[in-house]
Amino acid sequence: MKIIKLDQTSFNFWVDRLIKKQCVFGVQSKGDRFVFDTLTRAEDLRLDYDVTILPPKKYFLPQREDLLDFSIKGEYKSITEREPFILLGVHPYDVVAISQMDRVFSADNYDVHYMSRRYNATIISCDVQRASNQVFAGSMNTATVQAGFDILLTKIGDSYLIDARTAKGEALLEGLTVRTEPTDKDLQERKQVWKENARLLQKNKLKGKPEELPELLEKSYYDPIWEEKSKLCFSCGSCNLVCPTCYCFDVQDDLNWDMQTGKRTRAWDGCLLRDFAAVAGGHNFRRQRADRYRHRFYRKGKYMAEKIGQVACVGCGRCIDACIPNIANPVEVYNQLFMSQKNIYIPEQVTLLKTEKMTERETFYELKMDSGLDLGHEPGQFVEISLPGIGEAPISVSSSPTQTGTFQIVVRAVGNVTTAMSRLKPGDHVGVRGPFGSQFPVHDVMKGKDILIICGGIGLVPIRSAINFILDNRDDYGAMTILYGMKKPKDQLFATELEEWSKLPGVQVLQTVDCYDESWKGNVGVITTLLSLIKLNSESTVAVVCGPPVMYPFVLKDLETMGMTAESIYVSLERRMKCGVGKCGHCQMNEIYVCQEGPVFKYSDIKEVMEAI
Amino acid sequence: MSKPKLAIFDFASCEGCQLQIINMEEEILDLMSIVNPVEWREAMSEQSEDFDIAVIEGSITRSGDEERLRRIRERAKVVVALGACATCGGVNKIMNNFNIEEAKKAVYQEASLMPHLNTSLTKAVDEVIDVDYKIHGCPIDRKEFAYIIRCLALGKNPEIPAYAVCVECKLKENICRYEQGEICLGPLTRAGCGARCPSVETWCFGCRGFIDDPNIYAAKEVMNKYGKTSEDLKDRMMLFGSKQRYIYE
Ligand SMILES: Cc1cc2nc3c(=O)[nH]c(=O)nc-3n(C[C@H](O)[C@H](O)[C@H](O)COP(=O)(O)OP(=O)(O)OC[C@H]3O[C@@H](n4cnc5c(N)ncnc54)[C@H](O)[C@@H]3O)c2cc1C
Ligand code: SF4
Ligand code: SF4
Ligand code: SF4
Ligand code: SF4
Ligand code: SF4
Ligand code: FES
Repeated sequence: MKIIKLDQTSFNFWVDRLIKKQCVFGVQSKGDRFVFDTLTRAEDLRLDYDVTILPPKKYFLPQREDLLDFSIKGEYKSITEREPFILLGVHPYDVVAISQMDRVFSADNYDVHYMSRRYNATIISCDVQRASNQVFAGSMNTATVQAGFDILLTKIGDSYLIDARTAKGEALLEGLTVRTEPTDKDLQERKQVWKENARLLQKNKLKGKPEELPELLEKSYYDPIWEEKSKLCFSCGSCNLVCPTCYCFDVQDDLNWDMQTGKRTRAWDGCLLRDFAAVAGGHNFRRQRADRYRHRFYRKGKYMAEKIGQVACVGCGRCIDACIPNIANPVEVYNQLFMSQKNIYIPEQVTLLKTEKMTERETFYELKMDSGLDLGHEPGQFVEISLPGIGEAPISVSSSPTQTGTFQIVVRAVGNVTTAMSRLKPGDHVGVRGPFGSQFPVHDVMKGKDILIICGGIGLVPIRSAINFILDNRDDYGAMTILYGMKKPKDQLFATELEEWSKLPGVQVLQTVDCYDESWKGNVGVITTLLSLIKLNSESTVAVVCGPPVMYPFVLKDLETMGMTAESIYVSLERRMKCGVGKCGHCQMNEIYVCQEGPVFKYSDIKEVMEAI
Repeated sequence: MSKPKLAIFDFASCEGCQLQIINMEEEILDLMSIVNPVEWREAMSEQSEDFDIAVIEGSITRSGDEERLRRIRERAKVVVALGACATCGGVNKIMNNFNIEEAKKAVYQEASLMPHLNTSLTKAVDEVIDVDYKIHGCPIDRKEFAYIIRCLALGKNPEIPAYAVCVECKLKENICRYEQGEICLGPLTRAGCGARCPSVETWCFGCRGFIDDPNIYAAKEVMNKYGKTSEDLKDRMMLFGSKQRYIYE
């Protein structure tokens, strides 16, 4: 094992030298995404990438490749490539995927096409410097790797640690004149990077261990989730094609014009495509979308685990990005299955880390799941808080999912559960079920838009989750205006945070009280008075409204007068709830179960629902 | 093996697809080495009553055309529809969204009453006769045309993609148009063009027609998710003829 340290200039010099020696495929930008492509100069290398559109498998199993030359008479000649090349910047999860593919293509029937390319490759891995939006390598134990590559790069400050683990790797370091040994501190920092990455690369969080997936799937063949999710499936195969562990292919012949000789080629295929398992006579072994949709999860989570001893999902998150209807997220599916294997009425234990009285009636709590997992919520969702002997109450999550490790709620003492809550202290335990319900559309509709937030009273609590989410992903959104109304100055929640928000560029905070006293310097009047103070570009704005029931008719009417369409307004509604899972019926407004389809609704979807507003 | 006799006929079209064949350049000689062209208005003056493969370009817009088409079918062993006009009605089918008389007036103005401009609703070739093979696209892809003709000469069913344009688009590692806030018909449209349009950073217009089981329900739901409406989707589907068959279901 040989580790050296190079500063950025020497590092680029080294890369340029590699390029002179061999063909180097390195990560480069393509629009606002990244791809592996032929590298012609070190400057173009983007080791700060998040994820590439296609995985590096394309260099071992190209999208389309010639297998054989043949003649009509029955002569076959194998076509293989033997050029050495370097893959530069492979992330750990992709290294794991390549190791899995190696097993598939070398075991049983040795695939000379894949393997000859594989032997010609030198893999230079690079620890992740920037987490992609959907990565969950941390959940799949693939955030860091210790084998499967020739060299590992880790960025420490402005330098790279270059760790050669094989003879092939060491050969690439030969003849380097400027080279420093790393200090103990550098190596310590590298360990820290590995630890941090295991935590940070978890934008989705699996509610279980990858090893549990085969057994989970064993029990889930008839789960309604397959039918339900696949209703939106285009059968477009994108989830297969972008996956580093999908390797199915189709084989076709084409003749040359002489009609005597030709080529047999193979091209990527996918089990989600309709005709993948079709046989002559019109029978298709996976005719229904649901059959094909299910097959992918079984293949990754069960069949491959049985074949190679490891779950064949490395948590790169590519399928999630590639699926237009957003139904391909493995974590979402596996978590829902984990949930449905459990009794939906049994809460999980959480511990109170912090409690803080905010006003006369409201208390703030910070909680941590005893399982060590994250709650896994989205802005706008709620949980059922359970106190044995007293009961349960639906409570919104107030923290942003970008804050990991703990979550926060604010509870107003109004009755049994909520008052009992107010007597709890740090270290006490409560039960939690969820997260439940719909979310503010921060991942799609709100992106790139100006955001108008209108909240009254305790309505700030759930909306705070969205506000902080947006602020943590600031570049994805336009300007944000926050209008907050309360009865009395004393009712104000999150005073310090409101103050901080108001100082941020592109954020405007306006507050008003119904009844004022000496302490109040701001506006007075109901929340709609604030609307007249703002400039609104109704075309580019998405509005989000949450507050007491009385507030909605007035606010919604004003927004529409100001040119907002019902399509671009989202409301969060409160109803009496018991089960939170669409069973007990308490939350129903006409045909809609608020706990499932809500609490967040697009206004246009409920405008005509009589009991809604 | 004697060379199959090939005839190419055109109906309502821009003749762009035939032009693609002519533009095969040196490969056109290769083509001639495996088929024997007996009638092809755009490239030769001969006409023939006797052929094996009839290639039809264009959509059917007049009743006289239907008669002519049926005669071709009777005489041909294999009928191939060439290009979007023939396979799905193509751009010509936009007219079906309007009242015919008004559409004519808008296009031809005073001349609209002239008898030679008489027209009825646009039909794809398979709305009039049985079609054996379809070469999709507006215009067609030369390589695919060559491949299909080679298959027919060999007596093999050509393998025409049944999957969506997204497949080829992913293979090309394009950035998805939906990520750019555009509506792309790729998930509904039959592949084979190599995702020509998304590869030059524009959406797929659906010129190769829909796949056999397009998930229109999903397409509409996706509009919601991306802050668009089914009307926007419908607009996008206007250009090529398949819209009428599905969107109103
Ligand atoms: C989706 C959702 C999110 C919520 N988020 C929060 C939050 O973040 N913070 C917070 O303090 N409160 C929140 N609530 C309200 C909270 O759930 C209720 O105040 C709580 O259920 C009352 O329970 P309890 O046992 O304390 O009162 P109980 O002793 O059961 O009843 C006391 C009074 O409250 C009324 N009540 C009971 N359940 C509800 C209910 N679900 N909604 C409104 N009134 C009710 C009763 O009719 C009665 O008048 C939320 C409610 C919903 C539906
Ligand atoms: S299933 Fe999805 S997240 Fe898992 S490895 Fe494949 S593309 Fe990546
Ligand atoms: S990417 Fe999504 S829509 Fe396409 S096949 Fe996969 S699950 Fe279905
Ligand atoms: S399909 Fe397009 S290119 Fe071909 S004839 Fe019709 S309009 Fe012209
Ligand atoms: S750009 Fe169009 S064809 Fe390409 S993946 Fe996206 S939707 Fe599919
Ligand atoms: S991408 Fe769509 S519109 Fe463009 S050529 Fe292909 S099928 Fe036609
Ligand atoms: S709360 Fe029970 S059905 Fe919604």
